[in-house]
Amino acid sequence: MPRAHLRYFFFMLTVAAALSAVRSHGQNASAPRTFLPASILPAIDRGVVGDTSHSPGSPEAVVRESMRHSTVALDRTGVSGARYLAGRVIVKFRAGGTAASRVRAMSAVSQTASVSERPSYANFDVVRIDPAEDAEAVAAALRGQPDVEYAQAAYRVHTNFVPNDQFYKELQWNLPLINLEPAWDIQPAAGSAITVAVLDTGVAYSTQTVRVHASAFADENGTVYPALGDLTLNFVAAPDLAPAARFVSPRDFIWDDNVPLDFDGHGTHVSGTVGQATNNSQGTAGVAFNVKIMPVKVLDNAWDSIFGAPNFGTDDTVARGIRFAADNGAKIINMSLGRSGPPAPVVEDAVKYAVGKGVFIAIAAGNSFEDGNPTEVLAEIASRVAGAVSVAAVGPDKTHSHYSTTGSYIELAAPGGTDRGFGRGGYVFQQSYDFTLTDTFLLPPAQFKAPRFDVLSYIGYVGTSQASPHVAGVAAMLMQQGITDPAAIEAALERFATDLGDPGRDNTFGFGLIEARKTLRGLGLAK
Amino acid sequence: MRIVTAFVLAVLLSAPLGAQTNAASFDEPYPVSARLFFLATEQSFAAHTTFDAIFGKSMAPFFGGGLQVAMQNGFFIDFGISRFKQTGQRAFVNNGQTFPLGIPLTATITPIELSAGYRFGASGTSRFIPYAAAGIGRYNYREESDFAVEGDNVDAHDIGYLASGGLEIRLHRWVGIAVDAQYTHITGILGEAGISKDAGETNLGGIAGRFKLLIGRR
Repeated sequence: MPRAHLRYFFFMLTVAAALSAVRSHGQNASAPRTFLPASILPAIDRGVVGDTSHSPGSPEAVVRESMRHSTVALDRTGVSGARYLAGRVIVKFRAGGTAASRVRAMSAVSQTASVSERPSYANFDVVRIDPAEDAEAVAAALRGQPDVEYAQAAYRVHTNFVPNDQFYKELQWNLPLINLEPAWDIQPAAGSAITVAVLDTGVAYSTQTVRVHASAFADENGTVYPALGDLTLNFVAAPDLAPAARFVSPRDFIWDDNVPLDFDGHGTHVSGTVGQATNNSQGTAGVAFNVKIMPVKVLDNAWDSIFGAPNFGTDDTVARGIRFAADNGAKIINMSLGRSGPPAPVVEDAVKYAVGKGVFIAIAAGNSFEDGNPTEVLAEIASRVAGAVSVAAVGPDKTHSHYSTTGSYIELAAPGGTDRGFGRGGYVFQQSYDFTLTDTFLLPPAQFKAPRFDVLSYIGYVGTSQASPHVAGVAAMLMQQGITDPAAIEAALERFATDLGDPGRDNTFGFGLIEARKTLRGLGLAK
Repeated sequence: MRIVTAFVLAVLLSAPLGAQTNAASFDEPYPVSARLFFLATEQSFAAHTTFDAIFGKSMAPFFGGGLQVAMQNGFFIDFGISRFKQTGQRAFVNNGQTFPLGIPLTATITPIELSAGYRFGASGTSRFIPYAAAGIGRYNYREESDFAVEGDNVDAHDIGYLASGGLEIRLHRWVGIAVDAQYTHITGILGEAGISKDAGETNLGGIAGRFKLLIGRR
């Protein structure tokens, strides 16, 4: 084939892929996946997997994040460097305004603006604009309108992740580090009356057979990955998170249904730290191992995009997830996610709403210390709300994890691990999907193939994503112990934290490393 | 302590010797009368936030007894031992709201008190004898709770001071009762840690209403 023809062929292939990706995202009235009767063999457990690919900044982690964005055709990068979804602006109109005044406000800033039906679990609206318009600029203009309380672009949020694990005594340095063993003596129920919502990439909580369609796509370098066509995927529940009865009110805000399957593994891993089945002679332990877990999917990964999920992990999705959790019985919310960039009033509003309903929230402080140490917007919100905390990470030696973001908004520290200096002994291990079989988009296009979600391993992750669920778990135990007010839970966690770094609160560790036993035991008269 | 001892000796030596022969009639004062007493106290703790958080109330009873040596000239000394023991639960206090944590905590306070005072009209025959006293005490404090490890429980003592005033009522040649109010001030035990530190409360004492049953001559 002549070279010119070859170039033309690849050009057309790229265009077709892009069109396919665009068509499959954001335009489908109904989610393009079908659940079939489950016909799955038991989960395959591959034991401990040695892995460094889920460390902040590792080449694989960079590719995963890159894939996540490149598979979403509407992703844009804002002035601040924060990514947002084009074609929409999140707006909260002031109470008392009329429909006409809102239309005037919108048409004053954009000729294409229109309000779609208000999404569920939202006290805000999503204004649709032409994707070619600058959503940040439109949001800024809307903020100047008298009828608008706040307006912001739909910034993309992401996990603070990284993987690898197994076995309590051998690998789980992280739980003794917060003095959890005597805390279990104090609270053997380990949070059985408490529901913890895990706002994440979903959870391997249910065995399902799903039919999806995998479109072609191009990565950020323009490399085209072929369409895999119709796929039938078997999802298995993580055995070490069992029993199934502990999962309550599952919700998927990426696919708009009630089956928040985890295409990534991050949410499953985080759930394991919160409440992995413990004392069952297998796998790993969790902090509050009897809690009920509410899987709330608010984060998409590359597969969600490739399969054509209708929604994305943006501020509004997170806000809806928070409100859903608060309205459906969650008492603790873990958010191992975040972003830098402009403020997120929509999330702040939701955080305050949830805390006002008696929900305690733990938010990962971010993994970007070595990438300019930007302010983590969602974690920063936590620092201004009594009853929500931002959580930094420490390694096995209680020193600052090299990636853990620092700043005046850091409130607590917990084990997040490190991939430097401790080998696999520096990772936080939990059961999750075997990423070597799920993340096939890390392979060259020729080897790209359907993912498998029926093989699990004990995988080590590193990140503030891993630190935050430690706090959520201890908070769940504390709530069952008797402290029901979110602000009091925060005060107790901070009061009994082991001070690290500079005396008193500092920007690296906040008030220090959480101390489960002291926190649960509280105070006497004289001691 | 030497000051107190000297004061007590002075009181004893000041008793008029002649009075010792004038003790036969009903309720007439003896030159020196040793009287046993039984004590029931309801104390309102100065550290009310601390006690309220642990026990759900800041008032509690003490029970005890002792020996009182009263002289015809009105002076008396009083040596008593009492005890408070109660079980509550460990707690956390935030912005004035208490969250009990369900972990049993037992506190024991054992005051050993020595006081000296003056009984007004002790040499007369009135059934009603007002009195006032001041003194010193050693206050033992134990705090034990479940799930404690070494160093968690408290076993401490310190010196405190007291002042009291009340009324003795003679019921019989050998029996009297007394009601009084006593203020104690005990520092050095509370306020270093625990809820008392958070609450800024350092006084283990407080104001007590006391009832005494006195067995002995006037």
